[in-house]
Amino acid sequence: MFQVYLPIAEISVNLLVMLGLGAAIGFLSGMFGVGGGFLLTPLLMFSGIPPAIAVATGANQIVASSVSGALVQWRRGNIDFRMGWVLIVGGIAGAVGGVLLVGLLNRLGHADVFISLVYVIFLGIIGSLMLVESLRAVWRTRSGMAATGRKPGEHTWIHRLPLKMRFQRSRLYISAIPPLILGTVVGLLAAVLGVGGGFIVVPAMIYLLRVPTHVVVGTSLFQIIFITAVVTVLYAVLNHSLDILLALLLVIGGVVGGQFGAKAGQRLKGEQLRLLLAVMVLAVSIRLLIGLVVAPDDLYSLAPLTAGS
Amino acid sequence: MMRCALHLFLAPLLLLASVQAVAAEAPKPEQVQSDISTREISIQSNFTGIDIVLFGSIDFSGTLSPEEGPYDAIMTVRGPNRPIVVRKKVRIAGVWTNGPSKTFPSVPGFYAVLASRPFRAIAPKDTLRKLGIGFSNLDFGKSAGGDGADDGFRASLIRLQQEHRLFQESDDAVSFIGRSLFKGSIDLPVNVPIGRYTTQVFLFRDAKLLNQSQSSLQVDKVGLERAVYTLAFRHSLAYGLLAVLMAVTAGLLAYAFFHRRD
Repeated sequence: MFQVYLPIAEISVNLLVMLGLGAAIGFLSGMFGVGGGFLLTPLLMFSGIPPAIAVATGANQIVASSVSGALVQWRRGNIDFRMGWVLIVGGIAGAVGGVLLVGLLNRLGHADVFISLVYVIFLGIIGSLMLVESLRAVWRTRSGMAATGRKPGEHTWIHRLPLKMRFQRSRLYISAIPPLILGTVVGLLAAVLGVGGGFIVVPAMIYLLRVPTHVVVGTSLFQIIFITAVVTVLYAVLNHSLDILLALLLVIGGVVGGQFGAKAGQRLKGEQLRLLLAVMVLAVSIRLLIGLVVAPDDLYSLAPLTAGS
Repeated sequence: MMRCALHLFLAPLLLLASVQAVAAEAPKPEQVQSDISTREISIQSNFTGIDIVLFGSIDFSGTLSPEEGPYDAIMTVRGPNRPIVVRKKVRIAGVWTNGPSKTFPSVPGFYAVLASRPFRAIAPKDTLRKLGIGFSNLDFGKSAGGDGADDGFRASLIRLQQEHRLFQESDDAVSFIGRSLFKGSIDLPVNVPIGRYTTQVFLFRDAKLLNQSQSSLQVDKVGLERAVYTLAFRHSLAYGLLAVLMAVTAGLLAYAFFHRRD
């Protein structure tokens, strides 16, 4: 009952489970205001979808959630398009590199471990940082201390680089090189992990580029649309690892779940949300780590031979 | 549904068999004929695997009742060959990753042996090897990689294919129904590869091969599954763009329905 055969993954999955998974991720991303890709891709892998397909299909799902998110931000005038385009230029280069890398590793049989390993490292670092930060914030609110802000207009080495551009909406006049590099890194991560990369772009824009906070989320969502769209198409063309039926199920679930998540998120405090998110990110990271270090039940595995290996 | 089809199918065959038995007065050499319950298997979105039934009938059967049972039958079903890499995991810096590998150029995507009793007891080893019956007698082509002597790769390939139910050996899966009719059923799992399958039916008596018969069946994706598969592999750019368009549309719809007033 409700079993659906996925034409590219070539497995049969439960329709309701996949819709539910999409809804759960949509709920979380609506609640936390994140893309949710870093939870979706590992969860797909846990439920038996091959990593290469999980990554490509995860990226496709994020296109949908970031389009509606970016539209909301655009209506509020919170997108710095110029910054967005610079990030996208870098991002496309990174995405091409990432997709080729995963394709190569897949043929060599190392893609699964590589994707898991990068996930463990990134989720581990981000989760720990978020946990520490949110615990501090919770503690600060408890003890009644005001959060310390950063000084505006502070100059760092980043402001001394050449190729300066004026980013009006962000009220910045900085070199285009840091956003280009940032874009490239995010594109690479998006391609390898099947994520939007918001968890890298948002802090990097705030702390490194000093983009005003209200512009950060909109601009990040705007560039995520393009990066994940490019990743989706690249995977479809180069690796044939995109399952459109699976993506459709996840998108439908995600759209519905997202609405409830956003409402639920409004009832929780910011630092509580971040604490909750940090715990989840760490849990996924630990689960993946266990999969990597525990001796597998079966040392041998099979893979169809693909051209070029 | 399958059972019903089976009965409809059996009735004329039984009739035919008995008519032939009367006609055959002098003992003639036995001939075997075979057919499959489903010759075209369609994979669509509700596909979760399928049971198929192989029938065989013996012309000029020399037996008077099924209990007498002088005959043995072995049936094989073989899917299209494809190259497969077998990889062995090793521990590097605490992390389990794929290490040495061995490539087998032509592994049947599906292989099943059914027999009326343990098939190794039906015919001598040499005969089985000549006919390519049984996992140990399958030829996977000249393998590349690995360390030659170690046959762990081949054994693991067979074991994993068995775990995925793509390789099946089942003794006692063929049963004689009348004096000259027998059938065996095979369960094709959800992960069967698409392509042309060949089925072979071997008839033995006293460890000697009397006759064999061959037929084929086709497994294909149909409808939406076929369209998606073809698009994904033949027009992959259009497929990727379509996926993006689908996601963008969903995002726009979500915005239109839920966020208009934000």
